[in-house]
Amino acid sequence: MALGEHAVRFIVGVDIGGTFTDCVALRVAEDGAAPVVKIGKSSSTPPDFQTGFIGALRTAAEMHGVALDEMLANAQVYHGCTVGTNALVEHKTARVGYLASRGHVDSIFIMKAGGRLKWMPADYIAHVAKQTKPEPLVPKALCEGIDERVAFDGNIVVPLNEERAWAAIRRLVDQGVEAIAISLLWSTANDAHERRLRDLVKEIAPDLFVSISSEVSPRVGEYERSIATIVNALIGPPMRHYLEALEVDLKQHGYTRSLQIMSCAGGLIDADHAREIPVLTVGSGPVAGLIGAASLAQAGIGGSRSAITADIGGTTLDIGTIFDGKPVRRPTGSYGQYEYFVPTLDVRSVGAGGGSIIRTEGGLLKVGPHSAGARPGPVCFGRGGREPTVTDAAAVLGYFDPAYFFGGRITLDVEAAAAALARVGAPLGLDARQTAAAALRIIDSQMADSIWLTLTQQGHDPRDFALYGFGGGGGLHAAAIARELGVGSVVVPMSNLAAGWSAFGIAASDALVTEQSAIGLASPFDPEELNRRWPVLEARVKAKLVQQGVPAEAIELRRFAELRYALQINEVAVPAEGGQYDTRSVDRLVATFEREYERLYGKGSGYAAAGFTLTGLQVHGSARLSELQLGAVIHQSPAGGDGAAKAPRDVTWYGHGDKPASTAVYAGARLGAGASVAGPAIIEFPDTTVVVPHDCAARIDPTGSVVINLPALA
Amino acid sequence: MEHSKIGIDWNGRTHSYRPKADWRDRIDKRLRLHTGAADDLDPVTFEVLRQKLWTINIAHGDTITRISGSPLLASLDFNMSILTEDAEVVLNAPYVQFLNAGAPLGIRYIMETYSGGPGIDEGDIYVCNDPWIGACHQMDVLFAAPIFVDGQLFGWVANAGHQYDLGGVVPGGWPQNAEDVYYDPIVLPPFKMVEKGELRRDLEALYLRQSRMPDLVALDLRAQIAGVTFARDQIIALTRRYGMDTVKAAMRRMLDQAQESFRQKLAKLPDGTWSEVRYLDEALPGDRTTQRTQLNVTKRGDRITVDNIGTDAQTPGTNGIPFTSWSGSITGIISISMLYQQLFAYGGSERQIDYQPTPGLLTCVDHPTAVSGGIMQVIPMMNVIQAVLSRMMACDPELRADLLAPCSDYMLPVLIGYDDRGNYFGQAILDAFGGGSGARSFGDGIDSSGPSYSPLSMILNVELIEQWYPLLFLYRKEDADSGGAGQWRGGGGVRSAITPYRAQSMTVVTNTSGQCVSAQNSPGLFGGLPSPAGHYLVRYGTDLPAWMRDGRVPAGIEDLAAERTEPLRAKSNGAPLGNGDVMEIRVGGGGGYGDPLDREPARVARDVALGYATRQAASSVYGVALTAAGQPDVAQTAALRETLRNARAAWRPTGIPDDSAPVAATGAPPRLVHATIASVDRDGERILACDRCGHRYCGHGGNYKAAALMEESPVTAIPSAADPAFYVDEKLVLRQFCCPGCHVQVCTEVAKADEPVEAEMRLS
Repeated sequence: MALGEHAVRFIVGVDIGGTFTDCVALRVAEDGAAPVVKIGKSSSTPPDFQTGFIGALRTAAEMHGVALDEMLANAQVYHGCTVGTNALVEHKTARVGYLASRGHVDSIFIMKAGGRLKWMPADYIAHVAKQTKPEPLVPKALCEGIDERVAFDGNIVVPLNEERAWAAIRRLVDQGVEAIAISLLWSTANDAHERRLRDLVKEIAPDLFVSISSEVSPRVGEYERSIATIVNALIGPPMRHYLEALEVDLKQHGYTRSLQIMSCAGGLIDADHAREIPVLTVGSGPVAGLIGAASLAQAGIGGSRSAITADIGGTTLDIGTIFDGKPVRRPTGSYGQYEYFVPTLDVRSVGAGGGSIIRTEGGLLKVGPHSAGARPGPVCFGRGGREPTVTDAAAVLGYFDPAYFFGGRITLDVEAAAAALARVGAPLGLDARQTAAAALRIIDSQMADSIWLTLTQQGHDPRDFALYGFGGGGGLHAAAIARELGVGSVVVPMSNLAAGWSAFGIAASDALVTEQSAIGLASPFDPEELNRRWPVLEARVKAKLVQQGVPAEAIELRRFAELRYALQINEVAVPAEGGQYDTRSVDRLVATFEREYERLYGKGSGYAAAGFTLTGLQVHGSARLSELQLGAVIHQSPAGGDGAAKAPRDVTWYGHGDKPASTAVYAGARLGAGASVAGPAIIEFPDTTVVVPHDCAARIDPTGSVVINLPALA
Repeated sequence: MEHSKIGIDWNGRTHSYRPKADWRDRIDKRLRLHTGAADDLDPVTFEVLRQKLWTINIAHGDTITRISGSPLLASLDFNMSILTEDAEVVLNAPYVQFLNAGAPLGIRYIMETYSGGPGIDEGDIYVCNDPWIGACHQMDVLFAAPIFVDGQLFGWVANAGHQYDLGGVVPGGWPQNAEDVYYDPIVLPPFKMVEKGELRRDLEALYLRQSRMPDLVALDLRAQIAGVTFARDQIIALTRRYGMDTVKAAMRRMLDQAQESFRQKLAKLPDGTWSEVRYLDEALPGDRTTQRTQLNVTKRGDRITVDNIGTDAQTPGTNGIPFTSWSGSITGIISISMLYQQLFAYGGSERQIDYQPTPGLLTCVDHPTAVSGGIMQVIPMMNVIQAVLSRMMACDPELRADLLAPCSDYMLPVLIGYDDRGNYFGQAILDAFGGGSGARSFGDGIDSSGPSYSPLSMILNVELIEQWYPLLFLYRKEDADSGGAGQWRGGGGVRSAITPYRAQSMTVVTNTSGQCVSAQNSPGLFGGLPSPAGHYLVRYGTDLPAWMRDGRVPAGIEDLAAERTEPLRAKSNGAPLGNGDVMEIRVGGGGGYGDPLDREPARVARDVALGYATRQAASSVYGVALTAAGQPDVAQTAALRETLRNARAAWRPTGIPDDSAPVAATGAPPRLVHATIASVDRDGERILACDRCGHRYCGHGGNYKAAALMEESPVTAIPSAADPAFYVDEKLVLRQFCCPGCHVQVCTEVAKADEPVEAEMRLS
């Protein structure tokens, strides 16, 4: 059957991970039938990631029974791209030169002193004698101070000394830099000097990748803005190289549309935009799952529009929050001890996952934060790991079928895991199973505590949320974490397609472009200042989206204003109305801020008598790109529920004695939508295992998600 | 002993409050203390509960910063704790370490003084800022809430946080000109601000009435109340879920573990006494004298005794600290140096400490001495205990990896005036948080690390400061030679220069700790040099406007032409800055470790290349000759080092005889008790000998400094140091000590020229 005859289209999401590249390809029928989903997998192929990318596409096309070129000719491709993140992690970045206002180059070395430790784990902060600073992102020899100065009010107090600037750029070029980052003080108030410097660089070395801070991240605060600009420059050249190679390969295989890339802001940008501001792709990995969860939460799956996401991988637990259908955002991201401005979804990583190492220390059992990672990995993987991990504990307790782990791709050596656990537990008088049960209890509790702290810091009560658990360990831990938190409902989304979950999230995302403008207005705010700024931001957002291939009429613009009380520091971004502003609309904006502030920080916590400060304006432009609604994906259960029950297995449940109990096991792929399972039970899918504890009831919802209801705690 | 502790009434009126052994007997019997604890707490439940208590304590702090929104509290100028029913500190937090030291004292005072009336009830919150009872100074106000479960007092939660203003003669509460406590902000012994869940509006009004900024203090008051309320309720929920006895057992075990860990570490060290002398300049602004403090730590078995013998008596002025701050400085540094595995749960360690302060001395002042401005002097005291603990830890191969030379002291310039829009401003510039940390036994200190005693303290973005105050930062740059030189050098500090911009008026008030603008920032360890003093250097009437017009920014204020140049004193009130005037704040680095001549030449070359050291220091202190290209010249370096080392042969003996009684050989293997000095058997005797050349310093209980060769130089021998004579009339000198055998440098100190050489270690 040739494509075209039946007007079939493909929505393709590709997510490159450290080990595998996953491709979700949905064939959409125009007659309204549910899309057909296939997941292609291929090994990731660093440094030429495009090879694995094409490989995964080819597998998916084959599963649909079409040739790669045919699929691509009728596809829209969405891409979660970790090339920038990997380049940073592996220090395979460009040689960058840095231009800063003279006298302020050292900001990137000083790193705000102890401020650099803000997001570091407690054990690192406490051990002062072992602390350090990371290697500089740019060596001092490649930093140049520029004679110029803009003041906070935008006034040029020292004109740009072009002659000396020219010489400085020349010196950097002569030292072979591949990219230049330019970050001057108060470029947020007046970007003339940054732009002029970029022009000078272009004159001297037209091919260099250049980032200027007023474009990369226009927020007040030179340290975080400079780091954003430098990170952008560091990964600019490798990203440019990768995307160009990928586009060539895609074109060769008949792909003609634009390539859409996932950003950490939680939406898609086009490849040109990603080439220019690649820092937007750093940390986009965990964001895709959060977007997918938001899509399901908006459809009410799990019974709440507010959800916590727990993405549990081998080394980290990534925590996200969805409040009333919308992911919670924050203005900074971090790279080790470096913090930088970037509009991002608020995803916090904690060192806890399947690879977390179990050990004894001072007569105590400890789990994590160190991880065995993918290599050597858990003991039971038989890849040379000797220290037992959380995955080993789960295997010993019987949660996994040793012959059907990762759909049978890995055979678990449970005996080796048990021996390692017994070794660790011996000093405490615990046998292998007791050690395993203890470790699970500790890690579940730790994960719950981290989530509780995150929600508390955001001003939320976790009991008002559903919990979405995904990643390799989501199904294993989610119900236990939920019980700790007092959460009533757990969703393990689209479990039968778990391997493609991130790719799903990517393909389901909207195009999203954000533009911001730093401002420092004291109340009463001059409406004319706002009327001058909004249209500029909106025009920029529209232009980018149109370039991305979005029809102008499909663009939805939303305005946000960031405010704080004049004498307090908590900034809150609140929705701002459209249209022309007058004094009444300004009053409404302030009222919105006061309401939102009180919701977040408590009644009476704002000090209005000293007035307000407007610190920034943002415009978000978004548009639907694909027709994919995750809520509309139908669970495919080929056997219609027959033969779902597998042979029961002995499982040890902590909190229910340390003797194993015979436990029902189900093949999740055979449980049809609507099927329900009473705990205790294990539901196995090719790529994930869902644990249904005692007193809980699980059902398969129409999307193939496992929804577990927990009894209310007394 | 002449300063016998017998008969001192530590009652919180003249002398600081310290609970007596029988303090519990004075608790009203109607107050039911929950003293039970499950004896079958399994290690897994313990680990789970430990993590939960830690999380609750951190969330307590987050609640405070979130609700207050105050820049002061956001700069983490507070700390919070969970305590047992009898006020042992189970958990503290990674913020300013000493800051909540008042909690265990204040709470015990409340329990023995007020449990009978007005009583301690469910829902109560006590408030206190009395430095002789439960606060480090009046500006750090303690909020303490009892946790009641089933009618029993289960424990306490507390926080202490810095306030904007609570009265006193100088806005902001740091009067440097205070002759006694009546110049200071108001002193409030504990009172019940919240009674059975109701905020006492009369007492709130009384409290706020003391402040120049009552509205903002009211916000922080609510935030601090919300913090303890939140933490209290979370702990109650924890007891409901796990049972009171189980949670209490976990709390007790945390204490026991901290105690045990500290005890084991102490047991590894040799017995002896370690001492450190530090000077504090300018008791009152304009004084040209410096005052002496001394800390002595005597270790026997698995316990330490700490005293302040050798410290000057209190005087009018602001160099004094109360017992709370003194003991808090000790536990704070123990927490980060020896109990880091406990994650700030240091409480049990205090069971191994006997404090024996003599009251009425500068480090344990009596009422009515001024103390609010004296809070600056807690920082050198923390650096003193850091030096002492580090020397002790050097005696064990494992603990040696955790030692740290002290970090920079603290400089606090406050800018006051009006901007050109008529807005008043008056706030401190916190660039001193950009100071460097001390060298380690295995590596350099960290450049612009921030303070070791408050790991998360940060410097603010220049753009943030310029948004608030009418000034321009000409620069904020890393500083050469600001860390103490050594085999491992101290981390360097920063230099920041400011000039008024769009200001109607601007004056500078300076507050400075120790001698960190006159003689030194932090001492070095084991022959490493002290880090040089910083400064507030004002250049008046410069040609900066012309530079700026011409498109030039000076790299340093020395590049400018000026009408006159003047350093500000350690304590000064109101030096005006006008247009074209520029002030440079030089913030110091940490102390060095080991003989600078032992530093690898390649590291010195790298420091010079990166601007962390000058060529001059490379040659004069490190003995490293660099080629024109900046590489070490091997032959010339060897020759230069030989010359410098040989010059030490001419250093003179101290003339102090070895007064130690001979100790018979023990048969124990040699043991390093210093970077280069070991305790060894020789000829039937246990002695202290050079680990390099074998030279015998002295008997085992002797003072190796006395047995070393000594050189006294001007303090300006420290690279980039200024002459202390500008600030202090008493003569200060740099003393360097070396091994008489191989001339490796083993000790350095800044001392008053007329004071004798004191032992830094005496083994018993």
